[in-house]
Amino acid sequence: MLKRIVYGVSGAVIIGLGLFSFYAWNPSIDPITPPVKSDYSQQVIEQGKVLAAAGYCSTCHTPAGGKPYAGNYEMHTEFGTIYSSNITPDVETGIGSWSEEAFNRAMRSGVSRDGHHLLPAFPFEHFNKMTDEDIRAVYAYIMTSVPAVNQVKKENGIPFPLNIRWLQAGWKLLFADTQSFQTNDNKSEQWNRGAYLAEGIAHCGACHTPRNALGGEKYDQMYQGADIDGWIAPSLTATSTSPIPWRAQDFYEYLTTGNSPYHGSAAGPMAPVMHKGLSALPEHDVQAISLYFADHSGANESDDPAANANLQAAIKAQHTQADLRIDEGARLYATACQACHYSSDELVKGRPLLTLGSATHLEQPTNLVNVILDGVRSDQGISGVVMPGFRDALSDQDISAIVAYLRQSAGQKPWPELQQKVTEIRNQPRFEQ
Amino acid sequence: MAKFILNGESMTADVESDTPLLWVIRDELNMTGTKFGCGIGTCGACTVHVGGRATRSCITPVSSVEGAEITTIEGLSEKDDHPLQVSWKNLQVPQCGYCQSGQIMQAAALLKDIPKPTDKDIDAVMGGNLCRCMTYVRIRSAIHEAANAIEIKGVQS
Amino acid sequence: MSRLPKRGSPGITRRGFLIGMTAVGISFGFPRHLMAAMDPASADGKVLPSEGDIYEPSLWYSIDTAGKIKVNIMRSEMGQHVGTAIARILADELEADWNDVEIIHVDSDPRWGYMVTGGSWSISQSWPVYRQAGAAGRTALIEAAAKKWGISTKDCEAKNGKIISSKGELSFGELVTLGLTRKFTEEELKTLPLKPNQDLKLVGQQVTSLDVANKTNGKTIYGIDAKVDGMVYANPILPPTRYGAKVVSFDDSAAKAVKGYQKTIVLEDASGSVPGWLMVIASSFIGAQKASKLVKVTWDAGKTTDVSEADIIEHGKKLLSDSSKGGILDTGNVKTEPAFESASSTISEEYITSTVLHAQMEPLNALVFKNSDGIWEVHSGCQWQSLTLPVLATALGEDVANIVIRTYMLGGGFGRRLNGDYTIPAALTSKALGGKPVKMVLMRPQDMQFDSARSASVQQLKMAFDDKKAVTAMEHHATAGWPTQVLAPGFMPKGVNGEVYDPFAIAGADHWYSVGAQKVRAVSNDLAMATFRPGWLRSVGPGWTGWAVESFMDEAAHHAGKDPVQFRLDMLIAEGRNAGTTPVAEGGAARQAAVLKKAAEMIGWGTEQAEDTGLGIASTFGQERDMPTWVSCAVQVHVDKSNGLVNVQKLVVAIDAGIIVDPNGAEAQCQGAALWGLSMALYEGTELLNGQYKDSNFDTYTPLRLGQTPDVQVEFIASKMPPSGLGEPAVTAVAPAIANAIYQAVGVRLRKIPMRPSELKSALAKA
Ligand code: FES
Ligand code: FES
Repeated sequence: MLKRIVYGVSGAVIIGLGLFSFYAWNPSIDPITPPVKSDYSQQVIEQGKVLAAAGYCSTCHTPAGGKPYAGNYEMHTEFGTIYSSNITPDVETGIGSWSEEAFNRAMRSGVSRDGHHLLPAFPFEHFNKMTDEDIRAVYAYIMTSVPAVNQVKKENGIPFPLNIRWLQAGWKLLFADTQSFQTNDNKSEQWNRGAYLAEGIAHCGACHTPRNALGGEKYDQMYQGADIDGWIAPSLTATSTSPIPWRAQDFYEYLTTGNSPYHGSAAGPMAPVMHKGLSALPEHDVQAISLYFADHSGANESDDPAANANLQAAIKAQHTQADLRIDEGARLYATACQACHYSSDELVKGRPLLTLGSATHLEQPTNLVNVILDGVRSDQGISGVVMPGFRDALSDQDISAIVAYLRQSAGQKPWPELQQKVTEIRNQPRFEQ
Repeated sequence: MAKFILNGESMTADVESDTPLLWVIRDELNMTGTKFGCGIGTCGACTVHVGGRATRSCITPVSSVEGAEITTIEGLSEKDDHPLQVSWKNLQVPQCGYCQSGQIMQAAALLKDIPKPTDKDIDAVMGGNLCRCMTYVRIRSAIHEAANAIEIKGVQS
Repeated sequence: MSRLPKRGSPGITRRGFLIGMTAVGISFGFPRHLMAAMDPASADGKVLPSEGDIYEPSLWYSIDTAGKIKVNIMRSEMGQHVGTAIARILADELEADWNDVEIIHVDSDPRWGYMVTGGSWSISQSWPVYRQAGAAGRTALIEAAAKKWGISTKDCEAKNGKIISSKGELSFGELVTLGLTRKFTEEELKTLPLKPNQDLKLVGQQVTSLDVANKTNGKTIYGIDAKVDGMVYANPILPPTRYGAKVVSFDDSAAKAVKGYQKTIVLEDASGSVPGWLMVIASSFIGAQKASKLVKVTWDAGKTTDVSEADIIEHGKKLLSDSSKGGILDTGNVKTEPAFESASSTISEEYITSTVLHAQMEPLNALVFKNSDGIWEVHSGCQWQSLTLPVLATALGEDVANIVIRTYMLGGGFGRRLNGDYTIPAALTSKALGGKPVKMVLMRPQDMQFDSARSASVQQLKMAFDDKKAVTAMEHHATAGWPTQVLAPGFMPKGVNGEVYDPFAIAGADHWYSVGAQKVRAVSNDLAMATFRPGWLRSVGPGWTGWAVESFMDEAAHHAGKDPVQFRLDMLIAEGRNAGTTPVAEGGAARQAAVLKKAAEMIGWGTEQAEDTGLGIASTFGQERDMPTWVSCAVQVHVDKSNGLVNVQKLVVAIDAGIIVDPNGAEAQCQGAALWGLSMALYEGTELLNGQYKDSNFDTYTPLRLGQTPDVQVEFIASKMPPSGLGEPAVTAVAPAIANAIYQAVGVRLRKIPMRPSELKSALAKA
């Protein structure tokens, strides 16, 4: 995940100030012997476990089929491949010798125990919003409850000079939000709880906030959507192109079941966020996050989506199909998609209405094409339910015909150079988890 | 090694992760009721239920159903008496029968979502299931008959 | 498995035969698929054991001491419920209790005689045979009962599984327990008294077909489900041309990385079925698939790499223009020239049909191995065992007596499995592996590429009229690739000009209309024959000749200024050769007139139609003049002029097929056939492109689907005539009915099928 962040290193190169190297220098913190369970209360460890999940620590620190937290999860960036670190309490290859202080420093400023700068793929600027207690809880959990794994981190494939770690510091100086979490007194306590989680441990903005050319989050466009790992993290604000506004209950349903019937399913990089991450949080925390985002989206909670004209239009659109003898997309859609993606007058969960789905209404076909190519696994979207993948079944021409047909049915203007786009998406590195 | 639940029983199959579910079911687990027609998701012969939803198994890699509950035609009902199987027999829908496992599994999912489907609903949802014997007219009637039976008797589908 | 004893082998009873099968099945440890025969109603096709001694009044069935009757069916089951229908014929004549009847689809043992399932022949041909067989059993049982009671056979009656007299009743089972040995010679069989047709009780009654239940629960076993221990999978790599391709070299080094990959072989095929094929062998189906994608092959291609559909059509036209080519059918007076010379007006038109793929739902497959008795076992659904066996023998270099085709249900036949060429690659691979079991399942694109398609056709029709616009002569010249020429040349008769012709590629052109002098000429399209292997496809010749004849009749009616129904009726005169001769064809043209009137009535012929809406009608017969099933189809269509879409709003079919043995099954066959007709009229059709069919899967090749299916109304003419066939004939009248309806709706005539929206649109623009 988060490859865009790595763009930032190029910014660091530009800077290259002499004095800067002084700023960039951080002392090493002395190694310790790892703490044991009895050093912390069970409650703190439990709390840390929940937070570690909500921060997707294992998602980014565990490759498919690998040992949890042992690192070497592969991230493809335009500057090369980078691998996540081993954060198991292994003394030799993990963070076993890290003191709580070292851990806290890393979480807040992206500096390793030995003083070197971590690549900004590690979203420390979000973790910095966390309270000391919460960081401590995460530390307590990882150090006492995650099995130590001896596994050396693979060399990043990032070329010189981008690989010079201290240049990262310049990036931090320029872009990193170094403020701690600020309570908004005009908002409710629940809202603030949601904000704390979303901006902090859940680091939602890391994917959903667009970044500048050097990879820094554009805070003035917070949550307005961005490209991420070959997918689009859609806007969570009023700029959303979704035909039906997201209410808190829609966010809540989406985050707890992997799907909102009015918007779509959590696929691609969002799937583990929901299934392995936020699902660990207590219900009221997910509700708080939902409330927080509903505020950004500007939806009116009392609006009934079933009565929304856009919903009615979307249902009608799929009922008035082009004839399959004259429209290739209609033919393929009727043949390969409609058995599931069809709705009678009422929406049914698990029967996603694609003329309504967010993916059909985004500026780019990326998400729609990704899902058609690789489907949705049982641990993505709605748990235990799958969508097949058409990667080896349909050609780029077939897929672009379906996508164009859907886009048109959804009443949107055509995506330009669609077939070429499908080819590109097919050939980009697949997001794997 | 793939693990999932097939017709209520835990199964493991020692196959490569990209093997389509269809061939795991047919060749490894010897359940041949699910059929192969096109291999590209355009005929519906291979339809099974994954998590209760009709799914084309020919293009579903076994890795993507990890832990999921799968139902094939063999597991649709205990005594081959799902209302659709009953109406299928009443109206003698099958001709060669090859497509019918897929038809019935697809129709079962349809009735779950849309208990009283109109002809239009049936046409749309069943349009992906080819029947080369062209039993379509009877398929349509049999779905209505099953829907009525479920409604009248309160039979659970 | 030991070869099954031949008919007449001494000392072998049917019982021994059944026990033998079971015993061998067990000794091999193959639980079910090695059964020599298949009961489509039992779980997994297993033939149920008989109880006690059995009595076999004829080759075709046995009765055990429990009164259970096992009826041997040598026709393949592919959706017709043929076993049920045939068993009904027998059970009716035997006076059996239907609940005691089991059906068994048998393997290719020579005892069964000539085995083929096609041409809509099964019921028509089985009718006399199974009735005699039933009568034999009934006679023997009555004789045994009479003897037991010491009374005359005249005082005994067979009824519902029992023999009844004033002395009481004895069940069939009880009589078998007494020991029955009565045998009948062929001569005796022929003279046995049959029940009068009007006394038939089971025939014509509704029944649930015995194969249906297993087709709703996944238990039916098709060829693709065949499995034996130790089998390997082979996936072919097909050459760029159907004929003449030679493998120059191949490189399988990349394939070696695939799990389970064993090797790739180039087939040496003495039968000429699969020239230029390679087989990729692996321990799993998926392994063979994956590996075959990684094998690189260089071929010397055959000569047809550039042939396109247009070439075949153009070549056909050229062939037709040479009047010396082809066979001329005996239609009575074939001298049409004088009538045309003296005609006061003539019309002539040309009709074209595109290449059509079978696309049966079960892709072609075969499992072949040499069993421990040295017999080659071929496990596969097959429509023409007697044609396939000699080809297998040539390919394997074996005596035909050492090969047996095991029976399986067919996931659709439609004529594709008349041509058993798909068994050859599996057989050759097994041979190359020393007789090891080899299972081959074609992927859909391979199945389609290897199809024996229905050839494209060109037909030119001419009609001469006198000054009153009465018809005085007609000519019909047709060319297409001939399936019979390549697969069964011995079945080609000579025409009146001494030239042979493929009867299956012209039947239907020799119609039942009295048109004066009539010339019908069939020409083989040798370019089609060289490019692909033409096959018989559901409705075969009448599928295209009917299209031309009935479109043309409509055009002729308009030329003559007559109502199209009346115009036809005026020419349907049951006289001379059109009176019909064989028992099945008796009534001739009069029966065609009756279905035509019936269909006209069903559609409301002559009623006012809305804008751009029209009625169309056509009447045809299938499959041949000596076994005609008369069909008339009428449709109501609406044409959307903006995009050329034809919407069939109503489709009715009236049929006279004599006695209807299984009304529900018959209706299903006719619904299916009519929808095939609709599919080929408006949806289906591929084309040759660079020597191959353009379409390779259902993403581009889309036969009719549910969403486009109109309601189909089928009515049978009540009849006591012997049954003809029902699998195909309803195909033939649909396309012309639609074309005629389009003409009525918007005044545009389409002469090519499928009738594509784009073509209708441009025709409208020109009109
Ligand atoms: S075989 Fe899976 S959809 Fe055709
Ligand atoms: S019943 Fe034969 S394909 Fe449907």
